[in-house]
Amino acid sequence: MRHRSLLLLCALAILPGIEGCHKAAAPAKPDPLRNAYDVEVDANDPTHLIGLSYQQAQGKRVFYTNCVWCHADATPAGPSNRSNLTPVPPLMNDGATLNGVSDEFMQSIITLGGSAMGKSAMMPPWGRTLSPDDIKAVIAYTRAIAQPAYQPPARAASPYSREAGPGPATK
Amino acid sequence: MAPEEMGKVTYRMRLIFAASSLLFVAVLAVSPVKDLLREWKHYKRGYLQFARTRPDTKRLTADYRPDLDQIWIPEMNVVDRCASCHQGITQATLADGSVPQPYRAHPPIPHRVREWGCTPCHRGQGVATEVAEAHETTLAWEQPILPGRYVQGACGSCHHDARPELPKLNRGRQLLADHNCAGCHRLQDIERSVMQGPDLTSVGTKVSREWIYKWLKEPRTVVDDSGNVKVNGYETQESPRMPQFRLSEQELHDLSAYLSAQRSHPVAPYKFSGAVVAKWGKRPDVTDQGELRFRQMFCSTCHSLAVTRAGETKLIGGEIGPELTKVGSKVNPDWLAAWLLNPQGYLAHSKMPRYEWSEEDLFTVTRYIETKLTDSDLLSNVPQLGAATKEEIAHGKKTFSEKGCASCHAVGSSGTQKDFGPDLSALGSKNVSQLEFGKSTIPRNLSSYIQAKITDPSSVNSAARMPQYNFNAADLEAITTALLSMTGPPATSALQKLTIPRGNPQFQPAGEFARIYERYQCADCHKFNGYGGDLAPDLSYEGSRAQRQWIISFLKNPQTLRPTLTFRMPQFNMSEREAAVLADYLSMVMQSPDVRQEAVNAKELTPAQAALGKQLYEVKYQCQSCHTIGSGGGYVGPNLNNAGNWLKPEWIAAWLSNPQALVPGTIEPHRTMTDGEIKALTAYLMTLRQSGGKAAQKQVAAHGAKAGGNGVAGQ
Repeated sequence: MRHRSLLLLCALAILPGIEGCHKAAAPAKPDPLRNAYDVEVDANDPTHLIGLSYQQAQGKRVFYTNCVWCHADATPAGPSNRSNLTPVPPLMNDGATLNGVSDEFMQSIITLGGSAMGKSAMMPPWGRTLSPDDIKAVIAYTRAIAQPAYQPPARAASPYSREAGPGPATK
Repeated sequence: MAPEEMGKVTYRMRLIFAASSLLFVAVLAVSPVKDLLREWKHYKRGYLQFARTRPDTKRLTADYRPDLDQIWIPEMNVVDRCASCHQGITQATLADGSVPQPYRAHPPIPHRVREWGCTPCHRGQGVATEVAEAHETTLAWEQPILPGRYVQGACGSCHHDARPELPKLNRGRQLLADHNCAGCHRLQDIERSVMQGPDLTSVGTKVSREWIYKWLKEPRTVVDDSGNVKVNGYETQESPRMPQFRLSEQELHDLSAYLSAQRSHPVAPYKFSGAVVAKWGKRPDVTDQGELRFRQMFCSTCHSLAVTRAGETKLIGGEIGPELTKVGSKVNPDWLAAWLLNPQGYLAHSKMPRYEWSEEDLFTVTRYIETKLTDSDLLSNVPQLGAATKEEIAHGKKTFSEKGCASCHAVGSSGTQKDFGPDLSALGSKNVSQLEFGKSTIPRNLSSYIQAKITDPSSVNSAARMPQYNFNAADLEAITTALLSMTGPPATSALQKLTIPRGNPQFQPAGEFARIYERYQCADCHKFNGYGGDLAPDLSYEGSRAQRQWIISFLKNPQTLRPTLTFRMPQFNMSEREAAVLADYLSMVMQSPDVRQEAVNAKELTPAQAALGKQLYEVKYQCQSCHTIGSGGGYVGPNLNNAGNWLKPEWIAAWLSNPQALVPGTIEPHRTMTDGEIKALTAYLMTLRQSGGKAAQKQVAAHGAKAGGNGVAGQ
């Protein structure tokens, strides 16, 4: 059961690649490395694996436990719930939609749920189920698998905003 | 020298004095200069220069001190000076890949780097202040830094429990257990199971000598060079159990002779009653009926069969039991009937449940297996071996013990042998000089040694008796990680306090329930208080969750509650009494302390509450995104059509207030609901009944229509 679900999981990982290319590429030979949490298949080249950092890998784990059911076209258990929902939830690697959304907004909508942020109430709040670190990890993972690739927002030229801290560093 | 010149200081003397003073100063200066040029000071100064190029220089250098940075953890006997060079290790702004080492920040992890230092996870030499001594193997220090891909091995030396954050380590431990490594080796945290391989005391009554020969030559599951596991030529995700031993033709002859002579408990042919034989014996559709019953009993939940669909042959079914596509050509028909009737009679520790068979079912299903699940070519490449001679049997017995077969397989009453292979329980803390590399040219370190030993045991030791395993790259890495985590017992009692022990759940019921629980092998698939399989729901709190009557009807005719599941609980044909005993035990014993029966009084739930609950379900919380009621809704959670007959109201209420408190790790989101909302949703769900509850539902619908639009908007 577990192994089968992992196989499906890797099929899922290949899917966006095929979609992205808009051609019926033959699914690559299943490589068991795809099943591992610390790598992800390159969407543009199914034979290439991208290493994930610790945080991104934890995000992948959380994603495949909690989010995959509605935010992917295939799930470890087989059919996806995504097509059941109106509005249809975005795919987690849909960079065209999600790259424009800030980390802060993502953190809020995952924590508080869709209705709190003016989106569909079908997105439940996860703030009491997942820890803030889990949620940050999921966002990091989303950014890592985004197609087209995610570019962190360019820092403004202000001397304050170049600081990484939340406010201006006066130290 | 003349006496008048005695007190005179000559020019030459001055020169000598000046030179020796200079030399003295120079000698004195050697030590401070050497000190100044130490490798770590070079990196310290480098960090200051580097920090000046960053926008947040002030913050980066706030903690800067020009001397060594040291972390001391007395409990672990760790002295760690790594941060002397790795200056930016805790600076969040230096996490970027463009930051040069050694100044890059450590990626975020659950342990605080400032408290734990580096060596507990990365190993290496913490006290060293030179790059080479800290990271590499030197004459004085033989434990180099652990390559990044095995770092979870270091996690495992303290975390003996299975943490979800450590998938590679968990996979490695799983592989070590699945491949019965504990049969021959002593391993930390992985104990010998009660049965490694099947007991071979009567194997001669089950299979032919030719089949044993074929099995020994190529075990059922074969791993090809690219690591794909194949069963009878079909790819599978199952892990291979019996490994491939390098046996000569002579050894194959001898072993097959010895094993086929093992017939301690001969099986008598099963005598079917005349009526059944008369009814089914001549009918052409007997195998069709057998196949139908085979499917209806859901044998496929544990066993897979090769199925050809659209020109592609795939294995369909579970992996708890062996694949059965060609089993009819393997086993003796008399043995098959005896096995189906009482698997534990042949193999005491078999996981196969003892079904309640009707004569008719047994007749048709065995016919189906004997005639349809066959392959006439199965033994075509096996030479005719004939009857076993005494000499062959004696040789076979010797080979059996020499090859270590007795580590996993018992023959007769002697049981299995322990410790045939070396003790590996402290392999991860071995020094390089303790390893024998033989003539191989692999790099001299522990991880390379482990990998070489697993991929080709004879490469480091030509006399190795270890069988050949073809692991793929990922699994090899996982196994290496798990072996590196085995560092033996903690060196000090203080360190023992820091290790997180592995849970060792046990569930030992008693009485009539225990007998039925053993009979149907419930723990193969279900968990009871942490003990048991993962395939089916955890039953630890089933008594708080489900109504007794529902449990009985489910056991008699199991249905799947989750539309996405392909596996269903087998139909054991259990009697009413057995179902009642199981339901009673579950209801009385398997209860959650968090679910109090008095919390919700089902009789006090009103239709008005139920109507409000319906609106909460459909509008505010939109539960239909995951749950199905009627024909609409999502696939993620269980179908709630029969919730009123299935669930206890107090369970629904407790579940809605905090699902993770009842089932840790469940994906139902923990929401913030008021007590009134919880009562309303409970009232609504309790009206959902598939039979007999229509009236209540109508009442809710009528009430909901009356309530109209003023229901939820104000919530």
